[in-house]
Order: sequence, then C-alpha cells, then structure tokens
Amino acid sequence: MGYQLSLRPLLRDTLVVSLAYISAFCVTFEFLMPLQNALFPDFASRASLLFLPHGVRVLSAWLLGWRSVIALLPAVFAVFWWVAGDATFTPSRLAAIAVAVIIPALAFDLAARLRLNIAPSARATPCWPCIMGMGVAISVVSSLLTNLAFGSPPQDYIAYLIGDVFGLFFLMLLLMFTFRALRQRARQS
Amino acid sequence: MSEISRLAELRKLLLEMEHTMGLQDLSSVERDVFYAATDLAAPATPVKSTSLQSHALLSSVSRPTFFRALKSLVGKGYLTHCHPPVRGQYHVSHPK
Repeated sequence: MGYQLSLRPLLRDTLVVSLAYISAFCVTFEFLMPLQNALFPDFASRASLLFLPHGVRVLSAWLLGWRSVIALLPAVFAVFWWVAGDATFTPSRLAAIAVAVIIPALAFDLAARLRLNIAPSARATPCWPCIMGMGVAISVVSSLLTNLAFGSPPQDYIAYLIGDVFGLFFLMLLLMFTFRALRQRARQS
Repeated sequence: MSEISRLAELRKLLLEMEHTMGLQDLSSVERDVFYAATDLAAPATPVKSTSLQSHALLSSVSRPTFFRALKSLVGKGYLTHCHPPVRGQYHVSHPK
C-alpha cells in the first residue's frame, strides 16, 4: 500500500520532467539548431550551442535527487529513439543514455556528501551560481563520458560544454522571465 | 519534498537570479518573509503571521520590520489576505 502511495508522485514527476525535457529538446532542435546553422554555417560540429535539455537535467536532479534518474529516463530514451531509431540499442548510445540520466543525480549526491550546501531547503536561500557551477561540472563529466562512448572528435567536447552551459543559463533565464510575467499578471488582475 | 515545495524552491531560485540581476522589487527582509511563507504554505491553508515570525529565516528580524515587510508583500501582490479576511493569516500568490 505504502509502495503504491509513493509510486503516484514518482509517476507525476516523471510526466512533468519528461514533458519539460521533450519540449526543451524540440525547441533546441526544431528552432535553435536551424538558427545556429544559418548564423554559423562554417561550424562543423552537429552539437547544439544552446542545449536547453541540459538545464532540465540539472534542475530536475537538484529538485528530485536520485528520483530524477527515473523521471528523466523515458524522455531521454524517447529523444535517442527519435534521433537514432533502432540504433538506440547500440552499446555506445545506451551508455550515453545512462550518462545523461545518472551523472546529474550523482553530482548532486556527491555535493551533499561533501557537505556543499546547495540542496533545496526550506531553511536556506538557494544559490543559483552554485547550480550553474554544478551544471558546468555535470556537463564536463557527461561530455567526456559521452564523447568517449561515441569516439567523437575533440572539438565536440568543447561544443557540448558550451551548449550545456548556455542551455542551462538560458533555460533559467527563460523560467525567470516566465515566472516574473505570471507574477505581474496575477498582481494586475 | 512535496510538489508544492518543489515549485516553491524553483521560484526561490529564480527570485534569487532576479535579485542578482537587479530586476527584483523586494528588499532582503521581504524576500526572507516571502521564502518563509512559501516554506510554510500548504494548499488551501493560510500561513499565520505568528508561524512566520518563528521561522528560522526570520529569527533575527525585529517585529516592526517583519510587519512592515508583510504589509509591503501584500501591497506588491506576493501575499494575499484570506477570504473572508482573518487577522494575521495570508495566502502565498502562486502564478496561475
């Protein structure tokens, strides 16, 4: 019975996080990537320089901890399936999926074990530059491991890192202005 | 952590970002009162000013400063009075 009770919020978290991840992915690859290709036609790498899904990964792991692994998994898998189809089941892509969902939660868990005070807490003021710092660390480890799995050229490491960091920052900025606009609208009504 | 408090934590993080960028219209005491209110808020349950005063974030805030901040937060739309109004009880205005 207790297991069933705890399963419901997990399903809700999974739905919310998966929708956020897939939306961020769609915006990145259907809108931002064509813009990037038009602005930087000589940029050889296929990596996005504004990868919003990294922001969803980092914020989910910050808010949900290890639960984010389960919450992110369906969306990350769906996105790989969308891009690679049946090739999703190759060892390198399965390794990349594992890296994408596990590393953010692992990073925040390690930070908590090292007594870095960045976990969300009712008794503390959140530190957004710390979340950005964690986003950079998660991106460095993730891009190293992902590129190792894919055997990508060295310039892709840098491109992934830039895309992840800008993606996290712009997603937070987008959320900040959205919340601000909603607050101002609620105040006016 | 409940769904409401997760949303509250995300809002707190983004308010901090707004504050750093100089876009926020709250003083540091107002921010702490608002954070304490979001922490204590539960769906359909008002937050009592007495509970707010004893919150860890507000332990060093004097009574007059606390009540000035509370009044200001209501004026700025971050907190609303209960309906029907009950003295010392407020709701946190969540974006709709």
